[in-house]
Amino acid sequence: MNSSLLTPSSSSSSPHHLQSPATFDHDDFLQNFFSSAPWPSSALDDDAPPPTSDSSLAGFHHHDVDSRNQITMIPLSHHNPNDAVDVNAIYSGFSAGSLPFHFPQGSGGGVMKQSHTQTQSQATASTTTGGTAATPQTKPKVRARRGQATDPHSIAERLRRERIAERMKSLQELVPNGNKTDKASMLDEIIDYVKFLQLQVKVLSMSRLGGAASVSSQISEDAGGSNENTSGENQTTAKMTEHQVAKLMEEDMGSAMQYLQGKGLCLMPISLATTISTATCPSRNPLISAVKEAGVPLSPNAATTPVVNVKGASVVTVKDASSVSKP
Amino acid sequence: MASADKPINTDVPEKDVFALHFLQSLSNLRRQNTFNSPEKTNDRVKKIKKAAYVSMARAAGGTNRLWSRALLRRAAKENNKVVRLPRRKKRVTCLRRRRSNRRDPVEEEEAERLRNLVPGGGGMETSKLMEETAHYIKCLSMQVKVMQCLVDGLAPK
Repeated sequence: MNSSLLTPSSSSSSPHHLQSPATFDHDDFLQNFFSSAPWPSSALDDDAPPPTSDSSLAGFHHHDVDSRNQITMIPLSHHNPNDAVDVNAIYSGFSAGSLPFHFPQGSGGGVMKQSHTQTQSQATASTTTGGTAATPQTKPKVRARRGQATDPHSIAERLRRERIAERMKSLQELVPNGNKTDKASMLDEIIDYVKFLQLQVKVLSMSRLGGAASVSSQISEDAGGSNENTSGENQTTAKMTEHQVAKLMEEDMGSAMQYLQGKGLCLMPISLATTISTATCPSRNPLISAVKEAGVPLSPNAATTPVVNVKGASVVTVKDASSVSKP
Repeated sequence: MASADKPINTDVPEKDVFALHFLQSLSNLRRQNTFNSPEKTNDRVKKIKKAAYVSMARAAGGTNRLWSRALLRRAAKENNKVVRLPRRKKRVTCLRRRRSNRRDPVEEEEAERLRNLVPGGGGMETSKLMEETAHYIKCLSMQVKVMQCLVDGLAPK
């Protein structure tokens, strides 16, 4: 049993340790520990209650193996690098067999680490059971989990990672479609959302002027990344796009689609386009100008997704152009 | 070493504050003579957009937030105005921590992109950056709501 104390990392293969509940009295054990160990008071957590009773232990039993591993490790406060030496000495004394009781893994009810919810079990050579009392789980303080846990860099790393995870969680609630568990994709979502919001501000600031032509030119500039055009040039760029698309369509529909997507545009049937434009901006009379063949109204929409109907080709700009509907 | 975090505060003022600031900036813009001449719509657009951002920054927290400070400073530079922002002691401690904390290259590239988007993101640590991003997102959405309401209200029936 003592060997399991020494090498908790290997105890992952022995989950049966859980079944033997501690029969000893936590309080006594920890009292002794405290009196013997030259434990600086700062090693204790701020509001450390006296060693928790079986309730914590019972709760502790339900944790997975990884968190159990951490129990037996020394929960040194990270401000005290010197404690490691003392604790190691004490622990070696323990391991000599002086433990009078069966010391299950879960005995660390008094020594358990609060933020075990985010544990990454790190293999440690020597683990000592610290005598610091268990702190309530709600307190997010980090206890060092290694024997040589006094390495400030790893602690800082862990702190930093936890902090970032915390912020990520709060960001997840803000961003729509924030149910991605992957950190990278979550960050992508966040970045896209910020871009989207900034684009919205831009569109809204434009729409107030009622400058229809300038609106579409600005939007196409964003999608295509070209230089800013004055309102006069907008007609030509739209025409060029149309010609290009028509040319591509003759060869291959797919390449035409890709070209459109690259510009942030998509194809949709004219009837649908008219429906959308009349539905979303029924009051935009001054902006509706008589347009070419198709008679599609040119009406920049200042709704959440900027939609611009370029005349004639019924090409619609969508925010990310992910939806392409063929006529 | 750093101790436990204080609870992060990402409160944002109500819509009225944003609306007030934005309308004030708009009325200031109207008073400018060069504004109402309709030739160069693009200039007007840019001015309105800048006014929107600046008013948002002022409404959201003035100089209490890193991103708003950076935004205001940037705007002031464009106008060739000198902005005197109160120095905050927090800056020093931020720098001190940077030594050992810039790791984890997987997310650093994403953080780079975020830094380019959020004003003032260049000088921030990743955790601080995310905090600022959260507040920035809230303020942006509030500003968008305000502007949307204005546009809807002013749209011709």
